[in-house]
Amino acid sequence: MGGSASSVPPDLLGEYQELTFLTKQEILIAHKRFSELVPKEERDQILSARVPKDKVVTLPELRANPFQHRICRVFSTAEDGDDSLSFEDFLDMLSVFSDAATSEIKSHYAFRIFDFDDDGTLDRKDLENLVNCLTGDADGTRLSTSEMDQLIQNILEESDIDKDGTINLSEFQHVISRSPDFASSFKIVL
Amino acid sequence: MSYHYNEAFENPDYHNSETLESGRRKASQMNSMFRQNPYDSSPYDSYTDHDGREQRQSYSVDIPMATMQPGLEVSQSAKRWGTPNANPYGNTHINHSFEYEPEFTYTPPSTLSTVDGPFARRSSDASEEEKIIRNLASMTTRERIKAIQKMPKTMKEKREIRNKVLMEKTRKSVSYSTEIHCCTQCMYKIALSYRRFRNGLSELFQSLQLWQKTLKIIGGKFGTSVLSYFVFLTWLLTFNIFSFLVNFSFVTIPQFIAAGSNNLSFTGLELLTGAGYFQQTVLYYGFYTNSTITKIENSTSYDMQLAYIFTIGIYFVICFFSLVYSMAKSFRNNFVNPQTYSGNAGKLLCIWDFNITNEKAVRLKQKNLSTQIKEALSEGKSEDLNLSLKQRMVHIAIHLAAWIFSLGTTAVCCTCVYYLSINNLKLFMKGDGTELENQAATLVLPIVVSLLNLLTPFVFSLLELLEKFQYPRNQIYVTITRNVILKMSIIGILCYYWLNIVATSATECWETLVGQDIYRLVVVDFLFCLLGSFFGEFIRRIIGTKCLKNLGVPEFDIARNVLGLIYVQTLTWIGIFFSPLLPAIQIIFFFIIFYVKKVSLMMNCQPPRKVWRASQMTTLFIFLLFFPSFTGVLSVVAITIWRLNPSEKCGPFRGLSSIFDAVSRWIDVLTNYPRSAWVVWIYHNLIESVHFFFILTVIIIIITYLYWQIIEGRKIMVRLLHEQIINEGKDKMFLLEKLRALQASTRDTPARKGASQQFSTTSSLYQPPGQLDQQRHLSMPNYLERPLEKNKSSFSAKPPYTADFPETSGFLPGDPQRQQPSTKPGVSEALALAMRARQQAEREMEDEDEEDFRS
Repeated sequence: MGGSASSVPPDLLGEYQELTFLTKQEILIAHKRFSELVPKEERDQILSARVPKDKVVTLPELRANPFQHRICRVFSTAEDGDDSLSFEDFLDMLSVFSDAATSEIKSHYAFRIFDFDDDGTLDRKDLENLVNCLTGDADGTRLSTSEMDQLIQNILEESDIDKDGTINLSEFQHVISRSPDFASSFKIVL
Repeated sequence: MSYHYNEAFENPDYHNSETLESGRRKASQMNSMFRQNPYDSSPYDSYTDHDGREQRQSYSVDIPMATMQPGLEVSQSAKRWGTPNANPYGNTHINHSFEYEPEFTYTPPSTLSTVDGPFARRSSDASEEEKIIRNLASMTTRERIKAIQKMPKTMKEKREIRNKVLMEKTRKSVSYSTEIHCCTQCMYKIALSYRRFRNGLSELFQSLQLWQKTLKIIGGKFGTSVLSYFVFLTWLLTFNIFSFLVNFSFVTIPQFIAAGSNNLSFTGLELLTGAGYFQQTVLYYGFYTNSTITKIENSTSYDMQLAYIFTIGIYFVICFFSLVYSMAKSFRNNFVNPQTYSGNAGKLLCIWDFNITNEKAVRLKQKNLSTQIKEALSEGKSEDLNLSLKQRMVHIAIHLAAWIFSLGTTAVCCTCVYYLSINNLKLFMKGDGTELENQAATLVLPIVVSLLNLLTPFVFSLLELLEKFQYPRNQIYVTITRNVILKMSIIGILCYYWLNIVATSATECWETLVGQDIYRLVVVDFLFCLLGSFFGEFIRRIIGTKCLKNLGVPEFDIARNVLGLIYVQTLTWIGIFFSPLLPAIQIIFFFIIFYVKKVSLMMNCQPPRKVWRASQMTTLFIFLLFFPSFTGVLSVVAITIWRLNPSEKCGPFRGLSSIFDAVSRWIDVLTNYPRSAWVVWIYHNLIESVHFFFILTVIIIIITYLYWQIIEGRKIMVRLLHEQIINEGKDKMFLLEKLRALQASTRDTPARKGASQQFSTTSSLYQPPGQLDQQRHLSMPNYLERPLEKNKSSFSAKPPYTADFPETSGFLPGDPQRQQPSTKPGVSEALALAMRARQQAEREMEDEDEEDFRS
């Protein structure tokens, strides 16, 4: 940790505060945690550094999360698609997962995280992936094919309002609006 | 992420596609709505399309043509790389995130393009962008920041937008610059510094927030549900800290100045009984003086009576409003539209608790979820079993018996407490036996009360085993109701004893006696809470892990613990009047309870197996804290202040016929001072006036009724909109059916494909907007073998598109515009026209629905 020498410049800090839901304190903590991920030689230009996905998922907040790869994918702005995160991406992520973020933006990103094939809708395949993430991959907990089919059928019956076989963003947000626990559980705090 | 990485525009084929060009022209009208990237939400999200895929397919349509002028096209694309203004957001040309980049994908100034295409497109895009920016620029700074924060975009894009908005603003302000006064500038500066000040303040509060780290650890291991207990605890703690600060600074500190000496001895047992030495301290009502306190001669004096009554009164008023506020807030958030609540499967979409960071906890949570899902699925199958009349009667009888039993137990407990307390008072009045014996005797009542409070809930939980509820939710609610009835009736009986028996008894200072009783109750309850977590959790774990393996590790009983907190808080509120420093003791206890519970939780418990709907439960608990608890306390305090005779020889109100007399006397004094006539006026016309309260009540009832009616109207509206959405869905399905039928017919004649393409380009005038995409889907299969050089990252695993469109992705979901019926040469023009009209209507409806959805 480079100490105060590598802290965020004040004007940039203000800008980050303006553009995200994070407070000054949270941004500084994020900066500290992020700089721990960056190799020593790159710490001088931490704002331009990118941390590869393998490193990001070692964060204790993400390590055990079954959606860690999706989270990296959704928030990464890497040009070559390697899901690495820059500091700004990292802040974007924390902003969405922060307390202050609105339920709307949270549900928007939740949708993207659950949209495993990035095609803009949750189809059966996505739902299957989602349920597998929820129940884990172990043999004892995995659902059988018939159970999975039944479950996905149930989900679609309840959530797919326009009956097109998939859940789109607005349908997803509708479901979320009915479960008030979402905003408090869709939260990652450093 | 970046799978469409501008292949479209690097690839020359794309620009040559005539089909595209014509489609582009068509699409340009609706582009802003439907050509957006799936995740570009503002301002129209949802009903997304498959842009990424579409484009990838689209450029491969006309390879033969592409080979004709590759060089030319490449140079053109290179030129476009260099013109940043083509991009609406002005960021780099590689579209990293899933973003809307219409200029790149849709407006190549191709040699083959028609005149209007690109220009029309550009202007519509620019206006879109400008509209957003103009909108943002017209907002106040605060709103703008909020709006930008809410955009689901990356930081870079948000910054671009912000900079553009600022530029727009400065441009505007330059044109107005002559009109800007120094006054407005001054105002702006004040606003700015105020904002800074507020930011700083909120940061300060945040850093003051207790146990941030501990709460995070608990959340990480046990999830939001258990966390809600601790959050509730800290919330109550802040209530007590506030009340302590108020009481201490306005009542106790002045009393210290006027305090006499205390000549009672301190033995140590007083800590438990609250009697003896403490009688002569600021802890109890009886010690406070009734005189005015004047430290310096001839300066203004401090009236203890008024200070006492106003401090406590204002504290209760503040409590009332903050409780109502938090209750209303959590009601609003958690009971949005309960009537549309259906099933649980949809809940799976948002069930994952991202707070949980502990690996073991994650695995456990996954296991629990898996079991729950399996249970729910098997229940769903057997739910059809209809209970016979006899079975139903048996069920009802069991429930009835359980209720009678629980209410009977409660009644027995109350009688027990009542006789014990009367006995207690007699013992105190007689005063025979040694001092120590007397003190020990006073502890009997609180110990019995705490025992009843601890053991009866266990009896109630045994009842749960007998009653088999269909939904676990009902079981939780019933158990909570029974426990609340028990606890509140015990407190009610005690209040009756205090207000009707102790207050009229011939004791020297009944208020202090009541204060001592409450002190003992609080202390003993605290000790039992510690014992409870020792026996209930620690010993239970030992038994569960060592002796009876099938019992397993205990779960943390959130409901029981929270009810315990509510009970203690009620006692504290009642006690505030009789013992103003009780909140201080409560603060210490809450601190200790927090740590004990935390350690006990970490050592002994496992995360709850069942899904605990934390927000709903928190709402319920806040409501319980308000309704029987706080309102009950208010009535007790009101009776004390208005009805009862204060003690003759102790306390700030000695010698008055009722406590409220202090206020009336003060008003009488104030009438002599013309300057404070308004206070007198308020007192006579508002506080003492029956008419005022009558009118106020009537107005409030009318407003409530109006709101009720509005809600009814909204409900009908919601139902209608819901039906409408379903009808839209049916319409869409109908169109899809038609489409599939058409495709089946066209697939029979693949040879006509080339011809049909030709046809579509030339006859684009009467084609519906989405027709072109259809065209692309149809012609796709021929070029699927073409390797995709780019973006292996996201699509290498599976082919982006399967050849047999109708079967696999039969319809592209969530994307009604793409599934247009194609005007193939076999279909009558009339049908095409009808379809087009229908689409138009549908699109409009969908937009409306979406808005309703989001609002």
